[in-house]
Amino acid sequence: MQVLVGSVLLVATNILALSIPRKTGEAIDLLRNADLLDTTEPVLRIVAVIAALAVGAGTTRILSRIAVFNVGRHIEYDIRNQLFKHLCRLEPAWFQRQATGDLVSRIINDVNNVRLLYGLGTLHIVNTTVAYTFVLSRMLSVSPRLTLLSLAPYPLVLIVMRFFTRAIYLRTQDAQAQLSQLSALSQENLSGAAVVRAFGIQPQARSRFRTASDEYVHQNMRLAIVRGGLFPFMGSISGLGALIVLWFGGRAVISGEISLGHFAEFSSYIAVLAWPTIAMGWVLSVWQRGAASFDRLMIVLGTDPAIENAADGGLNPRAGEVSPTITFDSVSLTYDDGTEALHDIDLEIEGGRSVAVVGRTGAGKSTLIQLIARLRDPTTGELRIDDVPLRDVALDSVRASIAVVPQDPFLFSRSVRDNITFGVLDDHDAAGSSSLRIDDAIRIAGLTEALEALPDGLDTVVGERGITLSGGQKQRVTIARAVLLDARILILDDALSSVDTGTERRILSELQGLMKGRTTILVTHRFNALDLFDEVIVMDEGRVVERGSHRSLIEAGGAYAEMVERQRLEEGLS
Amino acid sequence: MSETTPQPSSDEMPTDAKNSQDTSAAKKTDDRTMHDERELGRISDIALMRRLWRWMRPYKLTFLACLLLLPAAYGMSLLQPHLVQLAVDRHLVPQHLAGLEVYAFAFLASVVCEYGLRFGQMYLMQLAGQRALRDLRCAAFDRLQQLDLAFFHRNPVGRVMSRLTTDVDALNEALSSGVVTIIGDLTMLAAIVVILLLKNWQLALITFITVPVLVGLTALFRILMRKAYRVSRVKIARLNANLQEAVTGMSIIQLFRHEQASFREYEEINRDYRGAAFSMIRWDAMLYAIVEMISSITIALIIWYGAGQAINDLVTLGVLVAFIQYVEKFFVPIRDLSQKYTMVQSAMAASERIFQLLDEEVTVLEDDDALPIARLERGIEFRNVWFAYTDDNWVLRDVSFSIKRGESLALVGHTGAGKSTITALLSRFYDVQQGHILVDGVDIRRYRVDDLRALFSVVLQDGFLFTGSLGDNVTLGVDGVSSADVDHAASIVGLDRLVQRFNGGYDHPILERGGNVSTGERQLITFARALARRPDVLVLDEATANVDTETEAWIQSAIERMLSHQTSIVVAHRLSTIQRVDRIVVLHHGEVAQIGSHDELVAVDGIYRTLVRLQYESMQGGGTVGAPAGALPQAPQGN
Repeated sequence: MQVLVGSVLLVATNILALSIPRKTGEAIDLLRNADLLDTTEPVLRIVAVIAALAVGAGTTRILSRIAVFNVGRHIEYDIRNQLFKHLCRLEPAWFQRQATGDLVSRIINDVNNVRLLYGLGTLHIVNTTVAYTFVLSRMLSVSPRLTLLSLAPYPLVLIVMRFFTRAIYLRTQDAQAQLSQLSALSQENLSGAAVVRAFGIQPQARSRFRTASDEYVHQNMRLAIVRGGLFPFMGSISGLGALIVLWFGGRAVISGEISLGHFAEFSSYIAVLAWPTIAMGWVLSVWQRGAASFDRLMIVLGTDPAIENAADGGLNPRAGEVSPTITFDSVSLTYDDGTEALHDIDLEIEGGRSVAVVGRTGAGKSTLIQLIARLRDPTTGELRIDDVPLRDVALDSVRASIAVVPQDPFLFSRSVRDNITFGVLDDHDAAGSSSLRIDDAIRIAGLTEALEALPDGLDTVVGERGITLSGGQKQRVTIARAVLLDARILILDDALSSVDTGTERRILSELQGLMKGRTTILVTHRFNALDLFDEVIVMDEGRVVERGSHRSLIEAGGAYAEMVERQRLEEGLS
Repeated sequence: MSETTPQPSSDEMPTDAKNSQDTSAAKKTDDRTMHDERELGRISDIALMRRLWRWMRPYKLTFLACLLLLPAAYGMSLLQPHLVQLAVDRHLVPQHLAGLEVYAFAFLASVVCEYGLRFGQMYLMQLAGQRALRDLRCAAFDRLQQLDLAFFHRNPVGRVMSRLTTDVDALNEALSSGVVTIIGDLTMLAAIVVILLLKNWQLALITFITVPVLVGLTALFRILMRKAYRVSRVKIARLNANLQEAVTGMSIIQLFRHEQASFREYEEINRDYRGAAFSMIRWDAMLYAIVEMISSITIALIIWYGAGQAINDLVTLGVLVAFIQYVEKFFVPIRDLSQKYTMVQSAMAASERIFQLLDEEVTVLEDDDALPIARLERGIEFRNVWFAYTDDNWVLRDVSFSIKRGESLALVGHTGAGKSTITALLSRFYDVQQGHILVDGVDIRRYRVDDLRALFSVVLQDGFLFTGSLGDNVTLGVDGVSSADVDHAASIVGLDRLVQRFNGGYDHPILERGGNVSTGERQLITFARALARRPDVLVLDEATANVDTETEAWIQSAIERMLSHQTSIVVAHRLSTIQRVDRIVVLHHGEVAQIGSHDELVAVDGIYRTLVRLQYESMQGGGTVGAPAGALPQAPQGN
């Protein structure tokens, strides 16, 4: 709709603006005959008309530009929103396949390209069409012969323009490739700063950098030639048009074929047509790139989430009094690269019990957690919660029943309070499910003292611009965040690795109260506090190798007992 | 001028350069608003200009030539309307055909000359500018080579990188988009004023009536646009940072069902950004349209006043036509000046940041009368060394030990005991706070740094490889390393067998950070690199990375052969390594806990015995001696 309004306004602007040279021409014709007639009044009239046209064109020009360019911005806004929404639906595994830095910068770049295409594309296409229609009809009515002659160089403009924009594009790519090589070189040098210094190879590094820098100068100059050559070249071509007008048009004036006013008008028109032609050449060549960007965005938008609600929207099992039992039924998971993370796991975690999962790095502990939260789906086998297959439960409902403290204590750059209340939805209190307040969560997570030390307490902003918390503090914030959810399943994935053993034990004891009546799963590398748990599950290479209480496993003297003993020795050293 | 001119506004510039610039600008703002913005603006533009000029001075002749071509080009440009005027007055009006071709060809010649000169000017400008920028970039790089490692701890590589690339590139952009033509624009404006006054001063004054209005409006819109531009920069930076954060923390967002809320936040910033973009479009459209309008109205004024004069034969028709054409050349530069001014500002900010880097002080320095040292004669001693990376978090406390020429010494201890720090201090990557490190009885701070470092060959834990060939990674491009040295080193560490496996031999290409060779291979290459220089002292920081059994055996025998050849200091994790050395220093929390040979230390109850026990047990679990678990386990990070 706005495109239409904008286009109409653009057409009006062009017609008004293009009438000005015509009026100027008329005025000059009048003055030429000034000796014969009294021209004061008609000239004044023309002057008034020009002024009116100028004001009119100015007004429509403002409105049309706003309308046309705003469309590009609206589209940009919509695409960004859609992308964000869609990204929120895609599973973690998808993000792992993309390099995040690359994904984000690609999206930014592509959205820009598409916006430019819409805003400027519309402007130039409308402008060129109108300019050609209007100017050509005027020129033809003055002199068809002169029109054809003076326009003869213009098809050349289109061809040359395409050549130039292509060359500019390619050479820009070359220059940027060289720049990334330069970056890679310095990146490598800076990352390997210790090696460079230890071996004293700074002179070699300098000469390599210098060579690459010289090459970059060379590439930039190649680019400068086409970039800087474009406008002189185009200018010369339109100068050729002007020459034709002066030469043939001049003869026509002398022979009385056309008037001097028409001549002046003609020279204006020839200048007027140069730019839309150049712009069209540009539009033609960026079209491809804009379209490629659009396709890339569409690929992201067209990716179906691998983890979704069942076709019927999924079940929403009522939150019962009893905490849910989690069942793994011959669950295996193989990653894309063929490594097997879990092998045929049969496991039942009874409702309300607290379970610790231990094992070496890469044993499959975290993968187990991801399956329960349905961040991944198993390759084969099935997970059930209270005997309902996990795939049949609505995603929202699954996640509402689980509170996870993830391995990586990721916090958002906002206040500590916002981070802690991150999972609390607006309707949370209305649902009446939460009896916990933020103060309790902070106490349980052992954050009270740490918060007092922060400049703005709970309102201290974390990260980038704000205060950077220590690893242990971050972990405790993520614990408070999970605790506040008051969910029926609580999962701590190696969430206490950065706090000392004393604090760990204190936090786990605080959690004891909360763990009652909840299914709790703790993944850990430390065994000091595992006597607090009902059961310990030992994993190795994607399999469950031992199960039992802390005490019974120690007595059995198996893998677990050995791990505990090693840790005891190590702790004696630190 | 007409609507159909593709007007490069600051928002919608139709060039490829702008495209690439847009993304880098987004990144730039991101990076800068976060870290650097507040530090800037201390130095005046004049001082910056003066400093920039120092870099251009070597190319001043080229710059001069360029500045001379500019007026010539503009002269040609201004000649064209005059030629049209003459053609009209001398030929068209009197209907005199003969000689018209002179003007026609003069016109074409002036067009071709104008553009030829412009091109030449641009080319020379780029040539000089690009070279000056290259010098600036190389100087920044040189400075980075001189800085000590502490600088790299304070400044993340990414930020330092953007000095070398993004900021230098911002200057480049300013240069190639013709900031320098500002001088040209101003000259041209002045020239037009003079020409018009000479042609007909009354008509000229009428023409200039609108100029104050134009200048006033342009200034006003410039302020408005800059404000909107700033807002939009901040918003887009926030928008991109928000997207980046959401993408990084997506699993948290999903786990905590925060999708809706996150989207609302994103949408809000997005809407603000759109709003800022709208006002930019609005001010830009108004500025553009009003300049056009004033230009047309000026033409109307010229016709109105000129008509009166033409009737009275005070002005020729040709002059009138020429006036109209000059007016068209007059208004565009005035409008563009403000846009170029913005670009100058961002270039200034970039150069200030680069200069900050150039001004970074080099802290590890040597005395003017620093002592040369060619080889280690007697030995090395740590005498009551205290060291902290920051403040008083002591990493080493009162550490003393010594090693004689020809001896080998192992440093053992738990993670974080300070072993690797000792090797870094030897090469003066850092200086000790208290105590002394003595080489042949003289404090290492008295020696020439290059000489001192040449004594040691260091094998760092992470086995850093450079992009290039395998051979380059052994020689590191140092001339003194002959192929005989390489062969010698390769045979000691067993790299020769590996080289035979590659098709290209020593020419085998190594990808970025050694991405195409295995961890074990990487270690062998760094071993060979250290030995090829035939160092006086080998400093080896054993890596704990897990490698397969066969490679582990290779590495172990390589280390054994290396140690038997020369004076060495080893940060050891392998029992086999520890057993081979002459002396073992056991570190615990930055202090020396025990010193002695393996047999002596095992005999007493202490940390060493516990370490060995842990080692022994893990070997039991791992099966054969030298199995992957042959490294000390990395304890969980407690604090």
